Amino acid sequence: MAVVETLPQNHTRRRTRSHKSTAWLLTAPALALMVVILLVPVLSAFVLSFTDYSLAAPEVNWVGFDNYEKLFTRSSYEKMLWATFTYVAVVVPLSVGLGLGAALLINSLARGKEIYKTIYFLPVMATLLAMAIVWELMLHPTIGIVNRTLELGCGTVIESLWPWLANGCANGMPLWLGDKDYALWVVCFIGIWQGFGFNMVLYLAGLTGVPRDLYNAAEMDGARSAWERFRLVTWPALGPTTVFVVTITCIRSFQVFDTVEALFPQGGGPSKSAYMMMFAIYEKGIKQNLIGIGSAITMLFLVFVMIITLIQRRLTERKVHYS
Amino acid sequence: MTRIGEFFKHALLLLGAFIVIVPFYQMVSYSLKSPAEIERGIGGFMGSQALMIDERCVGSNTPDRVDVEAARTDYPSLSDSDILGALLEKVREDCKVRPAIFNYRSAFKEAPLMRYLLNGLIVTGSIFLLQVIVALPAAYALSKLKFWGRETVFGLVLFCLLIPVHAIALPLYIGLAKLGLINTYAALIIPWTISVFGIFLMRQFFMTVPDELIDAARMDGMGELNIVWRVMLPTAVPALMAFAIFSVVAHWNDYFWPRMVVTGDRSLFTPPLGLREFKADIDGSLYGPMMATATVIVTPLIVAFLLAQKKFIEGITLSGMK
Repeated sequence: MAVVETLPQNHTRRRTRSHKSTAWLLTAPALALMVVILLVPVLSAFVLSFTDYSLAAPEVNWVGFDNYEKLFTRSSYEKMLWATFTYVAVVVPLSVGLGLGAALLINSLARGKEIYKTIYFLPVMATLLAMAIVWELMLHPTIGIVNRTLELGCGTVIESLWPWLANGCANGMPLWLGDKDYALWVVCFIGIWQGFGFNMVLYLAGLTGVPRDLYNAAEMDGARSAWERFRLVTWPALGPTTVFVVTITCIRSFQVFDTVEALFPQGGGPSKSAYMMMFAIYEKGIKQNLIGIGSAITMLFLVFVMIITLIQRRLTERKVHYS
Repeated sequence: MTRIGEFFKHALLLLGAFIVIVPFYQMVSYSLKSPAEIERGIGGFMGSQALMIDERCVGSNTPDRVDVEAARTDYPSLSDSDILGALLEKVREDCKVRPAIFNYRSAFKEAPLMRYLLNGLIVTGSIFLLQVIVALPAAYALSKLKFWGRETVFGLVLFCLLIPVHAIALPLYIGLAKLGLINTYAALIIPWTISVFGIFLMRQFFMTVPDELIDAARMDGMGELNIVWRVMLPTAVPALMAFAIFSVVAHWNDYFWPRMVVTGDRSLFTPPLGLREFKADIDGSLYGPMMATATVIVTPLIVAFLLAQKKFIEGITLSGMK
């Protein structure tokens, strides 16, 4: 500070002016790329979604809302929306809940915290595509370890206690990925398996920020049980973390692609039960060159992401924690 | 009471840990076992590692007429068909390998896995480097220089944070196709050169750097660009490390984008694409080599993670710092 004050006035002014142009020069590459790579594509997707554009086609026609109309009337897109929303509705609460549960359990341990943290974080690091293929092999109807393990239960007392298993023993174990009753749930399961460790780490970071003395205060006020302490202190203090974790998990879940593409190369799984939006964009836009409809799905996708983020901002502004 | 509580907590966490680890265990185990052991589900973790015959090796070394002619002197008393039989027996003997070696050797030989790994390195490395070159000067200007329009630019950064690049893949693809860049390294790299998140992150970090440091550098006659690289960059190494991990992990593991812009050209495949191709190609029996490929692809990041866990967790959860 002292240095600046001793500078002659005109020097400062000249410097400020030269800063202006350098500042623009320094931001120019980033600014240009932001416009070209992020903003222009959003705008062009918007425009293209009203056309029947396709690469290498001689002409482009304006089709108005046709693409959007298809999106909301055709059964394959209805399946797409259903599959995507089911996936989000299943994966978000479960992977957030498991992340929170794991964080609370680990945080309360006397020893062994680090090892659990490391293990639970492994799937976050691993290439999802590779792990999806491993899961596919594990769920292989005949040679997969899952059905092999289940078959061990046949003829034992477990079979009589668990009707589902008894049915499997009698009529054959599920085909999992080949069965439209299971395929989507398997995809959800892999999503949860892969993602909850990430949420756990965020919650663990959030837990370090909960003031210790709040627990004592709550206890003095009569919050004796662990549940009461959680409800009165931990949960409210974790408010901001929860808002963030839910938002980021939502956005990630909407983007699910690797698992469905690897597991269902034919597109969308048995009777399109796992036909996700990102896969639909890829299939329609790139593989079938139907760019108009692909762009319409893109716009719908962006709208969902915007809505989620706006909700997040609203919640964050309202200051979810009162610690 | 607390003893019992602790016991139940560990029991629950161990169950979770088991489910988390099983796929990794299976992947490595399959990558070591012979096809027969995988088929029948025997052999524990390692399999028996009994010698197996590599049928492909036999196929490519099957003795023909020339070999029989050449071998006639070695087997003077045998008929041609017996010589052929003897030679074939010898080839089969030579083609015996341990299953683990067979799996990993096939992983590298059946597909150019080395090339895929190299591509992964080139792509993730270039992306990170370009992201830094673009983001650092911008972050410096946005945090330390006062100029007209600064708030607007920063507002734009905040707005762009909302746009997931994967979501706008289709228009980006069209743009790249129009430029004739599909199936090039450029297509794999260019869309990621701008990391608004990187700009945002580095800006937040630069805000904490004292102005005196910059003023002192200016007094020494340093230009602004020099200040970015020689003053700001060294102070930002920890934040940059975290960002590097964030960026490298995301792009090494990314499957969606390479799938979009690389269609047939194997020499451009990144590791996940290579694995996917392997899966599409196999007839269903080569699970061992496929799992070996998966292991090779997953291992680098897992090992790095185990060596520097704190840094990795910091890097991956960076997006939580907003």
